[in-house]
Amino acid sequence: MPKHLLGLLLVLPALAVILLLFVVPLATSLVGAFKVEDRFGFGNFAKSFELYTSDIVFTVVIVSLSTAIIGILSVAIGGYLVLGENPRAVAILRWLYRWPLFIPFIVVGQILRTFLAKNGLMNNVLIEVGLITPLQAVSFLDWRGIVIAFVWKQTPFVALLVSGAMASVDRSTIEAARNLGASRLRILVEIIVPQVATTLMVGLVLSFVTMMSVLSVPLMINAQSPTMITADIAFRINAYGDYGVANALGLISLVASACVGWFYLRQTLRERS
Amino acid sequence: MGKNDFVSVEQISVGYGKTTVLDGLDLSIRKGEFVALLGSSGCGKTTLLRALAGFVKPDAGTIRVDGEDVTRLPPDRRGMALVFQSYALWPHMTVAQNIGYGLKLRGTPRAGIDRRVGELQELLGLAGLGSRKPTALSGGQRQRVALGRALAVDPSILLLDEPLSNLDARIRLKVRHDISALQKRLGITAVHVTHDREEAMVMADRIVILDAGRIAQQGAPEEVFNRPASPFVAAFMGAENVIALNGSVGGGRIAIDASDANAKAILPLDGRNLKSGGFEARFRTEGAQLIDDGMPVSEAVDALDLFGHVEAASYPGGAWRHSVRVGDDIMLIDAARPCAQGQAVRVRIPAKNLFLFNQQGRDSRPQPSSLNEGGAARVLEASHA
Repeated sequence: MPKHLLGLLLVLPALAVILLLFVVPLATSLVGAFKVEDRFGFGNFAKSFELYTSDIVFTVVIVSLSTAIIGILSVAIGGYLVLGENPRAVAILRWLYRWPLFIPFIVVGQILRTFLAKNGLMNNVLIEVGLITPLQAVSFLDWRGIVIAFVWKQTPFVALLVSGAMASVDRSTIEAARNLGASRLRILVEIIVPQVATTLMVGLVLSFVTMMSVLSVPLMINAQSPTMITADIAFRINAYGDYGVANALGLISLVASACVGWFYLRQTLRERS
Repeated sequence: MGKNDFVSVEQISVGYGKTTVLDGLDLSIRKGEFVALLGSSGCGKTTLLRALAGFVKPDAGTIRVDGEDVTRLPPDRRGMALVFQSYALWPHMTVAQNIGYGLKLRGTPRAGIDRRVGELQELLGLAGLGSRKPTALSGGQRQRVALGRALAVDPSILLLDEPLSNLDARIRLKVRHDISALQKRLGITAVHVTHDREEAMVMADRIVILDAGRIAQQGAPEEVFNRPASPFVAAFMGAENVIALNGSVGGGRIAIDASDANAKAILPLDGRNLKSGGFEARFRTEGAQLIDDGMPVSEAVDALDLFGHVEAASYPGGAWRHSVRVGDDIMLIDAARPCAQGQAVRVRIPAKNLFLFNQQGRDSRPQPSSLNEGGAARVLEASHA
């Protein structure tokens, strides 16, 4: 048997798995997005935008907002782990911050639903303490609840990556700044973060894409309009069997994620050049 | 502590956990002085520098600068700037940003920063490199950027933590001179940590030799080099050849007893504080003369003769380096001409090149008794002293 055929045969199983389980379903879904009753066209997209424009905007806005908050919090956590001067506080934070990593999104949704509701744990505590009256209690089970859930779940992931990168930053670069009189905040912002920017970006891009695809949190916390694209996709399929619009919505969220990925790639390419 | 001291370290102790690194150390530095802290790794020299800089909190003791107690002050309030061994340049900033960062922190206006950065680039031979990132510079250039960054804030004290150890040998020789010339020109007080004897000798006004967290000896380079106060300092300053001798002190002279390995000798005491008994004698490779034992030998005057055989000779450049077996010891001796292997030789060490110390208990080795000279009994007796 010729050599190149043998090589092809060896990679065939792996190739087949990728093709059958990844490329074909994706392609079917992409093609399906443009299919309206056996003909190709933009009907599904027209319908998607007509019905769900506010949901699309809502999704992109709250995922972006969550990403920004996650970025700030994970830098703060990583920064404290590297620069904190109280060893006990650093040890406690190091032990504590990772816990949400091991909790599935659906459980996060469940926990926060009981915590953030109008008569949930948070409001009860605030009323007990006397910070608010029962009349002032509001439910956080709307966009705020989703943002809180995302931030709660994804911050540890980004903080894990970022604090690892920060720990490997040459310590003398930090000391050199301290020697010249930089405050800890300036050291974090001007010396450490620029050196871990790539890692931070990777963490945030991965978080963005993960959050774009979460269904359980919007279903648990915000079962009203506007909601996230994932909830709409599930609804189109479960209620109407409308795969066309579902595929179109899927493609739209894919494009949103791809924009972030493109932004990241451009940034890394610029840094290397 | 004298009146002229600019920096004074008083009874400072530093420990990490249970290990004591510095143990009640005293040091004073005059204004404009260049002091080298010299020692092997783990002797506490870097810890002392970091304690000065404010990165290590001492367990006890005081550090004063110009009379002010700075022991508890943060690193930036001590008027000191540190140049790191790894340079610690910020990779995301350009050369100009690196140099100017200290001024930016002090709120200097933009134009002032640019002017000062320009001056320093000019001074350090970095002109035209201002917009480069540190990764695009050579080792020597990075080192100068680090120096520029430290000098930009006009520190009264410059701390240098082995700043030359990452440079290759040829550049190092040049940078040595550059740094000490710059220090003299700016009249800045400098503390330089190094483990390189020659570097310390060339650069410093005063050498402070540290051993196990204490000062073993301090003084001008020639003083430390020519009059080491202890076997440790002698060995550290290059007197690696060592031999055990016996002798008695009296009348301003030291009478060295003859043995298998050495001839009898009378050496001037030269004000040294020595007691009769066992000595540890040390000398440098280049501090001895090699004489063919077959030839008629002149009497040694103010010098010690050792008897040995050449085991090998090599040419590292400048002189032939012989490894000579004297008794059980191997010595390295330089000579202008090579001697054949196996040749019987005399190693003649002039008194000024021979460093004598009273033997410490653990180092004393019994001397074999001598048969061809008198006083054999005394040698045996003295060797156990």
